[in-house]
Amino acid sequence: MSPRATAMLDKRHPRVLVIEDEPVLAFAIEDLLIEAGFDVVGVATRLETALAIVKRDVFDAAILDANLAGVSAGPVASALAARGLPFLVLSGYLPEQQDSAFSGALRLQKPCRPDRLVLALRSILPVGVML
Amino acid sequence: MKSPPGSTLLEENAELHARLEEAEEMLRAIRGGEVDALVVESAAGPQVYALQGLDAATNRFRGEILAQVSDAVVAVDSEERIIYLNAAAERLYGLTASGALGQRLSKIHMSRWLHPEDEGAATTALRERGEWRGENVHIRHDGREMNVESGVTVLRDTAGQPTGMLAVIRDVTERKEHEDKVLVSEIRYRRLFETAHDGVLLLDPGTRKIIDANPFMTQLLGYPHNQLVGKELFEIGLLKDEAASQEMVRTLQRTKQVRYENLPLESQTGRHQEVEVVANLYDENGRYVIQCNIRDITERKRSEEHVKLLMAEVNHRAKNLLAVVQAVANLTLKYGDPATFAARLSDRIDGLAAGQDLLVKNQWQGVETADLVDAQLAHFKDLIGTRVLIQGPRARLTMAAAQGIGMALHELATNAAKYGALSNLQGQVRIAWRIIAATKPAFSISWLEDGGPKVGTPTRKGFGQIVIGRMAEAAVEGSTEIIFREKGLSWTLSAPVENVLASAILGI
Repeated sequence: MSPRATAMLDKRHPRVLVIEDEPVLAFAIEDLLIEAGFDVVGVATRLETALAIVKRDVFDAAILDANLAGVSAGPVASALAARGLPFLVLSGYLPEQQDSAFSGALRLQKPCRPDRLVLALRSILPVGVML
Repeated sequence: MKSPPGSTLLEENAELHARLEEAEEMLRAIRGGEVDALVVESAAGPQVYALQGLDAATNRFRGEILAQVSDAVVAVDSEERIIYLNAAAERLYGLTASGALGQRLSKIHMSRWLHPEDEGAATTALRERGEWRGENVHIRHDGREMNVESGVTVLRDTAGQPTGMLAVIRDVTERKEHEDKVLVSEIRYRRLFETAHDGVLLLDPGTRKIIDANPFMTQLLGYPHNQLVGKELFEIGLLKDEAASQEMVRTLQRTKQVRYENLPLESQTGRHQEVEVVANLYDENGRYVIQCNIRDITERKRSEEHVKLLMAEVNHRAKNLLAVVQAVANLTLKYGDPATFAARLSDRIDGLAAGQDLLVKNQWQGVETADLVDAQLAHFKDLIGTRVLIQGPRARLTMAAAQGIGMALHELATNAAKYGALSNLQGQVRIAWRIIAATKPAFSISWLEDGGPKVGTPTRKGFGQIVIGRMAEAAVEGSTEIIFREKGLSWTLSAPVENVLASAILGI
């Protein structure tokens, strides 16, 4: 069964993976999402960890930092896309400076207002996964 | 000077002409051994010097003519004593004939040869052919040096025996200086052309063909010099086609200068380069020539790209930092006492700034743990070695680890100064880190307080606890242990080395 189908059947909180190398931001986003009613399945600060979680865990959407410790998070975007999982890209880079693996994804610029981040995340959730 | 009327001028000119012709004839006659004596006009009146046995009247006439010649004429006898010198020679050597006659030649000037072998060549020429022409330097009795061009003929008596020499001398110092200047200028500009690190092409505006190219141009394009000469610019890939070449020449004739930026140039070996071309139309002494300077701007372009990249990076980092500050502000407010919000936020921003300085100092390539500890404990540096003990091996932290551990250390130090071991006069803090060798090596850092006021477990979780707990864990994907011991706080963070260290420096 695909994660999307699982999500549609369940009436529980939407599950989100947070991929962000900055510990303060990672925590702040996690804290914000929990308060907004999401279930944070994991916080990955490194590319390898992110790829492992994307492959292994079940979740509905991801927030992806475009750059992880100086490395493009493009491979994570590709892995998410391969699984059909929606994600939004959070970055300090301008869109034209970003990896083409992010094209098509919703992008937010850092710094981002917490309420806007929550709204953006809700907007990309698959149909049936609502708060 | 007032110029004479036309007719007078013509007359004078004709007379001068006649005199010169006579002088020429005279010199020829002397050289030919037809002259037997010379008459010298001096203050004491005319004096006749017999060279050969001709009548005095003829010689007197010839002597007068010789006196008019603009070149210096000097005759010496077989002992090199001066027997004649004309007015031009008096001027040239700065003396009078009456003072010089009978003197040795060396009295009126010394000779210096331009090349050591010249002197021998002159002697040989005089001995074998009876005459010598050439250049050398005459040094006057007052020390002035002149470059001169001389024609020297051996004088002979009727029996053909040498009786002396006659020299016609011309001062060529000015001409020589001018020639030297031209030569120096030629060498200088030739060198500029040859060694320039810009390609230089000279074109004929009429045919638009290359007439010269400097060595750098050859290097730039990979064509040898002889293959460049005779080609048009479009034939060497500098301009698109013949029409573009024609257009350039037309524009040049109108504006005298054309500039092309970022022309893609392909060398014969297929190397792509970005070049900038500046063409100028010059008047080269009545003849027009086009000079094209071709500059390889590949490096400049690359460096511009690099700057662009750096700017993007700066932008990214600045915005990232703003996002961090925003998060710290939100979390400080949410998890802290609103009354101390401003003070706590400023304090945390200080900590972020200290970490930022370290990262920049290390060019974002990681930070030594010891440097990070020093930076975050800068407020307590007087206590280091006494109440703050620091110990650990060399261990270079990744940026993320440095950020997470740095913030934790900052929170721990702030807390210790307010409530813990650094809030009284005798408490102690021990900071230690180590690398634990195992199948999965781990890095561990601890903060241990002793001798502070009695510690109790906090009733509510503040932001500081989040920073030293979850946030530090997230930074290195590790685990923390926080124990509120009565004698002091104990904090330990452990994580796999590959999550913490920038390079695999294991051990000390």
